[in-house]
Amino acid sequence: MNNHQSNKEKDEIIKGHEYDGIQEYDNPLPGWWLTTFYGTIIFAALYYVYYTFMGGPTLSQELEAEMKAVPAVQSASADSNMTEDTLAAKFGDQNTIAQGKTVYVAKCLPCHAENGGGLIGPNLTDNHWINGQGTRVGIFKVISTGVTDKGMPAWEQMLKPEELTAVAAFVYSLKGTNVSGGKPPQGQEYK
Amino acid sequence: MSNQNLLNTYDDDIVRKFLMACLIWAGVAFLVGLIAALQLAYWPLNLNLEWITFGRLRPLHTNAAIFAFAGNAIFAGIYHSSQRLLKTRMFNDTLSAIHFWGWQLIIVAAAITLPLGYTHGKEYAELEWPIDLSITLIWVVFAVNFFGTIAKRKEKHLYVALWFYIATIVTVAVLHIVNSIEIPVSFMKSYPVFAGIQDALVQWWYGHNAVAFFLTTPFLGLMYYYIPKIANRPVYSYRLSIVHFWALVFLYIWAGPHHLLYTALPEWAQTLGMIFSVMLWAPSWGGMINGLLTLRGAWHLLRTEPTIKFLVTAVTFYAMSTFEGPLLSIKSVNALGHYTDWIIGHVHGGALGWNGFLAFGMAYYLVPKLWKTELFSKKLANTHFWIGTTGILLYYISMWAAGITQGLMWRNIDASGRLLYPDFVETVTKIVPLYWVRALGGLFFLTGYLIMMYNITKTIQQGNAAKATETIPTPAHQMGSHEHETGHRKLEGMATVFTVLALIAILVGSVIEIYPTLSLHKYVKQENITSPYTALELAGRDIYIKEGCYVCHSQMIRPMASEVLRYGQPSTLEESMYDRPFQWGSKRTGPDLARVGSKYPNLWHYRHMIDPRTVTPNSIMPNYPWLVQHDTDFLILRKKLSVMKNLGVPYSDAEVSNADIDAQKQAQTIADDLQAQGAPAGLAKKEIVALIAYLQALGQKGVKK
Repeated sequence: MNNHQSNKEKDEIIKGHEYDGIQEYDNPLPGWWLTTFYGTIIFAALYYVYYTFMGGPTLSQELEAEMKAVPAVQSASADSNMTEDTLAAKFGDQNTIAQGKTVYVAKCLPCHAENGGGLIGPNLTDNHWINGQGTRVGIFKVISTGVTDKGMPAWEQMLKPEELTAVAAFVYSLKGTNVSGGKPPQGQEYK
Repeated sequence: MSNQNLLNTYDDDIVRKFLMACLIWAGVAFLVGLIAALQLAYWPLNLNLEWITFGRLRPLHTNAAIFAFAGNAIFAGIYHSSQRLLKTRMFNDTLSAIHFWGWQLIIVAAAITLPLGYTHGKEYAELEWPIDLSITLIWVVFAVNFFGTIAKRKEKHLYVALWFYIATIVTVAVLHIVNSIEIPVSFMKSYPVFAGIQDALVQWWYGHNAVAFFLTTPFLGLMYYYIPKIANRPVYSYRLSIVHFWALVFLYIWAGPHHLLYTALPEWAQTLGMIFSVMLWAPSWGGMINGLLTLRGAWHLLRTEPTIKFLVTAVTFYAMSTFEGPLLSIKSVNALGHYTDWIIGHVHGGALGWNGFLAFGMAYYLVPKLWKTELFSKKLANTHFWIGTTGILLYYISMWAAGITQGLMWRNIDASGRLLYPDFVETVTKIVPLYWVRALGGLFFLTGYLIMMYNITKTIQQGNAAKATETIPTPAHQMGSHEHETGHRKLEGMATVFTVLALIAILVGSVIEIYPTLSLHKYVKQENITSPYTALELAGRDIYIKEGCYVCHSQMIRPMASEVLRYGQPSTLEESMYDRPFQWGSKRTGPDLARVGSKYPNLWHYRHMIDPRTVTPNSIMPNYPWLVQHDTDFLILRKKLSVMKNLGVPYSDAEVSNADIDAQKQAQTIADDLQAQGAPAGLAKKEIVALIAYLQALGQKGVKK
């Protein structure tokens, strides 16, 4: 190893330093190490001064900037042209309903049960509705914007518009099927 | 042996005791760790048993690894090396024995109480107040014994290993005492005096420096003794020892808040935590340089001496961990890595690689020495080395991959402004295969350990401890010599001054960071004041703590777009101002719960606690069926509220004296709702209802905007 030694590394044993047979060299601090140390100290000082005293962005300012860059979710339920008739075609389409069933199984099943009979959430197969009155638009809007104080999430934050339509179509298709063993009716009856 | 003869020998019996304890507890720590790893990969292994469910098992694993395995390793090494470096027998054999047996009793107490759910709910400081007191007492015994040995030393100057031991003993005492200031409620329950951000800051000042002064400085001391000793080479640079020692102890203590980046902690403190962590990089590497460069000219030993292999690899892992630590403290890196398995990987690189391998290296050296024989099989030690190294790498790499994958999934927002993975569980199922790889890594590490135990048992069988007694040689330099000395060399001869200076070095950062935070009112905005928990919610909160929910769930929404979309507005410090202990958490194996209140109906929580998969398919959370069997302790609530009131929580006298009645009323309301929705009757008295009350209160106590 000796031929690889730098000139500064003299490997001189320090006299009088002997502890249980362990001796010590008096080698200098490695230059790259010292440079790294000084570098981090300078970085630390500049960083602290900038963020604490010179108006560097605070966390809430950073969040604000970040939120501006996130596009606002286009609320599909805000579509004022939506009527029972505009939805009717899609709601009658078997492919849409099948696609909706997939979404239902993934997202809705835990609370409304596999057959729609209700569990934590209400029964979707009777003609009683707490919200949405059982209309196509009503169901679509409840799914989209949720009933958050009752634990129904606003799914438009998580599902794409076509997924919302599909799952609403599937739920609409359950209406009046009155599966056995479902939760007792809740809300008002709509014929 | 006559008394005089005894005084002329080193007390190696105590070293053998600590070493054996270290090796036996290591098996417990590794085995429990492996079980915990398997539980994460395959949830049914929680077995529906409350005592071994992950939330209670994980603290057992961490405490066993840190205090039982690493702790006893430290004591073995310190008792062995200090006597030789000071050229004297330990100060007092009785104190040595009290230290040894006391510490083992504490470990046994931990192993019994943690599975039973007695916990502070603060990481690595879980043990309840009677055990906290015992730890303090035993630590004082250790300190008296150690400093007593220094006082009667025959070697004038303190070698660098001893500097690190001194810093360790002094700092651990300060950390443990301050972080354990608590008011008992009953025999095994207490509340910390600090609340919310104060508690968070004190806890992570403690937690980070437990890593610094329990897992780093003492092991650096051991490195400074065993590497030059075994390689028979002089230490590379005395000057470097001085500079990196003082830089390390002074800077380390400040770095705690890097565990609290992007939280509600005041930003000046967060920034301090980050910059001091960055500055720690070089001082940490100073130890690595002195460890590795001491071996110049002795690298051939790496091929022939398994002991050296373990020590060199340990120092290499130390270098990796202490580079990764500052990296993870940089805010933008922390934003990705925090709450993920990256941190778990980082910790295990240090614990398995640095602490584990250093302790193994030391054991392979000490056992033959202390039993006056040769190591039974170098070949088996080599096998242990390779299996162990493979295990650590599997662990480290799988957790990097898991952490970074999950961190990226959490923050992914698509072009429509929606989270790409809105269901938290999707980000969990994605990394479950990596949990299996991690468990395999743990199995390798454990297998290596078993090989070592076989090897060591065989070595002890062929050895003879009685013949290993070493007479104390005459020191190289007598105490009385009055050579002219200056600077640090002079200081090395003045143990008391040295100790006081080390204490001051660690107190500076502590006081500057903690003192301002104690005046919480400075940071609390009057318009955001929150209302305290009701008696039932408090009961539920204590169940949350008992079950170790904080081990997998945070309660701290960070100010980042993806978190706001997923969980809601960032958490404020007012929201946890009455939280004793704070439950901000450090890992999200499940989602954040800071605003889970009123998000789901009561029945959702009921079904979720009994079997999470009924409401969240593919969830890896354990079942908690016992919550519908155990009764809530309503009677103790008066006492609990009265302790809280004394600590400054604004409960009225009526609320305190009616705590149990109020709680029963609220419980009945929830139970009625559950029953109306289809749950069984008669749940009002059960723990599940108290827990639901607490969960429904989370994020609901502030002023509605």
